[in-house]
Amino acid sequence: MLLVKFVKTAALLLACAISLILGISFGPAGFIDLKDPLMQTVVLDYRLPRVLLAMLVGASLASAGCAMQAFFRNPLADPYILGVSSAASVGAALVISLGIGSTWNIVISAFITSLIVSFTVYRLGRHGESYAVLLAGIAVSSFLSGLTAIIIYFSQQSAHEIIFWIMGSFSRAVWQKIWLIIIPFFIGIIYLLLNSWNLNAILLGEEHARSVGINVERFRKELIAVTSLLTSATVAVCGIIGFVGIIVPHTMRLIFGEAHQKLLPSAILFGATLMPLVDLLARTCTSGEIPVGAMTAILGSPFFLYILKRGL
Amino acid sequence: MRLEIRDLGVELRSREILKNVTLKLEEREILSILGPNGSGKSTLLRTIFGILKPLKGVVLFDGKRLEFDDIAKIAAYLPQEIPQTRLRVIDIVLLGRTPHLSGIRRAKKEDYEIALNALNEVGLRGFEERIFDELSGGEKQKVMLARLFAQEPRVMLLDEPTAHLDLSSQIEVMRLIKRRVENGCSAIIAMHDINLAATFSDKILMLKNGEVHRAGKAEDVITPESVREVYGVDVAVRKIGKSVIVIPVAKSSKNGIRVHVICGGGSGAEIIQTLVEAGYRVSAGVLNVLDSDWEIATELGCEVVSEAPFSDISDENHEKNLKMVEEADFVILANLSIGRGNLKNLIAANLAAKLGKLIVVERSEIRSRNFAGEMAEKIYSEISSKSIIVKNESEILNAIRDLAGRLPKGRGFVN
Repeated sequence: MLLVKFVKTAALLLACAISLILGISFGPAGFIDLKDPLMQTVVLDYRLPRVLLAMLVGASLASAGCAMQAFFRNPLADPYILGVSSAASVGAALVISLGIGSTWNIVISAFITSLIVSFTVYRLGRHGESYAVLLAGIAVSSFLSGLTAIIIYFSQQSAHEIIFWIMGSFSRAVWQKIWLIIIPFFIGIIYLLLNSWNLNAILLGEEHARSVGINVERFRKELIAVTSLLTSATVAVCGIIGFVGIIVPHTMRLIFGEAHQKLLPSAILFGATLMPLVDLLARTCTSGEIPVGAMTAILGSPFFLYILKRGL
Repeated sequence: MRLEIRDLGVELRSREILKNVTLKLEEREILSILGPNGSGKSTLLRTIFGILKPLKGVVLFDGKRLEFDDIAKIAAYLPQEIPQTRLRVIDIVLLGRTPHLSGIRRAKKEDYEIALNALNEVGLRGFEERIFDELSGGEKQKVMLARLFAQEPRVMLLDEPTAHLDLSSQIEVMRLIKRRVENGCSAIIAMHDINLAATFSDKILMLKNGEVHRAGKAEDVITPESVREVYGVDVAVRKIGKSVIVIPVAKSSKNGIRVHVICGGGSGAEIIQTLVEAGYRVSAGVLNVLDSDWEIATELGCEVVSEAPFSDISDENHEKNLKMVEEADFVILANLSIGRGNLKNLIAANLAAKLGKLIVVERSEIRSRNFAGEMAEKIYSEISSKSIIVKNESEILNAIRDLAGRLPKGRGFVN
C-alpha cells in the first residue's frame, strides 16, 4: 500500500521533471546545446521562462478547476467553462484598449471582472440542476468572449491580438510575467492546500459542510476570490486557455482518489507537467505556432463529452 | 445533555416558519418531531444547530446560549439529503472531527481512532477504503451516522434519518441512534413514520404550520384526533405496549350500507378491517370488552354491543344485538367458537338467517368449535341451510355485492 503510494508520487514528480527538460530542450532554434552561446541565450531568455510560465499556469488552472468542481459539486466546472477566464480577458482587454495597460493594472482589472462574474454565475446556477450552472457559465462565457473581441477590434489592435486573448499563448513569455503570476499562484495554492479538509466537506454539499461546523458563507466567498485570483493571473499573462481545469483534476482523481489532501497536490504537479508538454507540441508540430488554447480545446473537448456521457 | 427551547420564532424570506415553539429535552431522551411536509421540522433542527438565527426566543444547551462555532462541538446535525460523492468512507467519517480540529485541519492519530470506532459502532468496520457512492442506501446512511458519532455529540439532531431506506435499515438506523442515546446523549429526530417514531421515542412533538400542536408521550400525542388535525387524514390508532400503530380508515361509506358482524375471540378482526376498508358502515356484537375483536372494532370506530370482560351475554345486550341485526343490511357470522356464554350470538344469527341477510364464514367445522352442546349444533345447521356460506374475507365482499343487487332501489352499490 505504502509502496504503491510512493511509486505513484515518484512517477508524478519524474513526469514533471521530464516535462521541464523536454520543454527547454526542443524549439524552433533546434535541440539544446549549452556550449553554443546563442543557444544559451535562447534557453535562458526564451525557453526557460516559457516553460516555467506554462508550469505555473497549468498548476493554477488545475487547482482552480479542482476547487470549483468541489465547490459547485459538478465534475465539469472549471474556470473556462464557467466564464471566469473570459471575464478576466474582458478586464485585461479593457485596460489595454484604454491605454492604461501596465502589467499590474491588467492583473487587477482582470481579477475584478472575474470576481464579479464568478459571483454572478454562482448566483445564477446555485439552485438549479447540475446543468444550470454549466449553462449559465457557457452563456456568460460566450457573451464575454464576444465582448473581448469587440473591445480589441475597436482599439485598433491586430487580429492576432484577439486570438492571443481568446485562444491563449505562451509566445510572449518573459521573466517579468513569471514575477507577475507567482504571487497570485502562491496565495491561491497555499490557501487551497490549507483548506483541503474543508474542500472535502463542501464536496458533500453546503448543508453537510455546515453540519460539521464549517462557516460555509465565509468559505464560499474565499473560494470564489481565490479561484478568481488564480484564473485572472493566468489570463493576464497568457490569455484564455481552456479545459486544463477539467483534464488534470479528473486524471488525478482516477489515480489518487477524491480526497483533496492528495488530489490537490497531485493536480498541481500534473498541471505543471501537462501544460509545458502541450505548449511544446503547439510550438514544434508545425513550422509556425498553433495557439496553445486551441490545442487544449482539441484535447479537452472529447474529455468533456466523455464525462458528460458518463453522467454528471 | 439537556436542551431547552423557549418561545422560538423563525422567519425565512419574511414568511413565518416557526411560531412560539417551546420544548425540553432531557439527557438520554429521544424526541421525535412529527408533522406534514412544510410544517417546520427541518427549520426547527437547523435553528437549534445555529444555522438559522431565530427572530425571537432562545435555544439553551445545559442552560447556556451558544454560537454556531461552539454548537458543532457539542451537537451534531444530520441533514436529510444523503450526499453523492466518490470520497472514501473514512474521509467522510473523519469529517465528523472537523469542529474538534482548530487551525489547519488535519486528522491526527486519535481522530483516526475515533473515526474507526464510529465505523465499528455502526457495524461497518472494514469499509474504510470503500467509495461512498458504491455503497447501498442503508450502508450510506450508516456511514453518515458514523460521521455523526465521530463528532462525539452530546445532542444529535437528525432530519428524517430513515427516509428512503428499506425496513431492516430503518430499524437498524433507529437502534443505532437509540444505543448512542442510552450511552449518554440525547436526540431530536424529524420523522415521517409515525409508527417508527412511537416505537423509538420517549417523547413526541407534533408540528402543524410551525406551531407545536401537541407534545408528550406517544400514546397521549398520537390519537385519531391529533392525526386528523395535523395530517388531515382519518386513522385508527392501536396501542401495543408503549408503542402505537396507525391504521388508515376509509373516509366514505358506500351509500351507508350497514353490515353487522357477529364474532369474538379474534374471529372477526380481519372481517371487520376488510369491511371498513371497503367503505361499509360496520357494527359488531356482542363482544366482551378487551376481546381482540372488540379492540379492533372500537379502534376502527364501529358501533359495538359490549359486554363486561369474561361475562356471559346479558339479556339486555342480546336485545341490543337483535336490534342491530334487524337494522343491518347484511349480517356476517364469523368463524367463532360457541360456548354457553355467547350462545345468544348464535340465536341472533338465526334471526338474520330468517330475515335472509346472513353470510356465514366457515373456516372450520362447527363440531370442532362448539362447546355448548348439541343444541348449538342444531341451531347452526338450521342457520347454514338458510344462508350463504363463504370461506374467506374476499368471498364475503363478493357475497355482499351479489346480495346488494337484490336490495330495494336507492340502496345500490357505487361500484
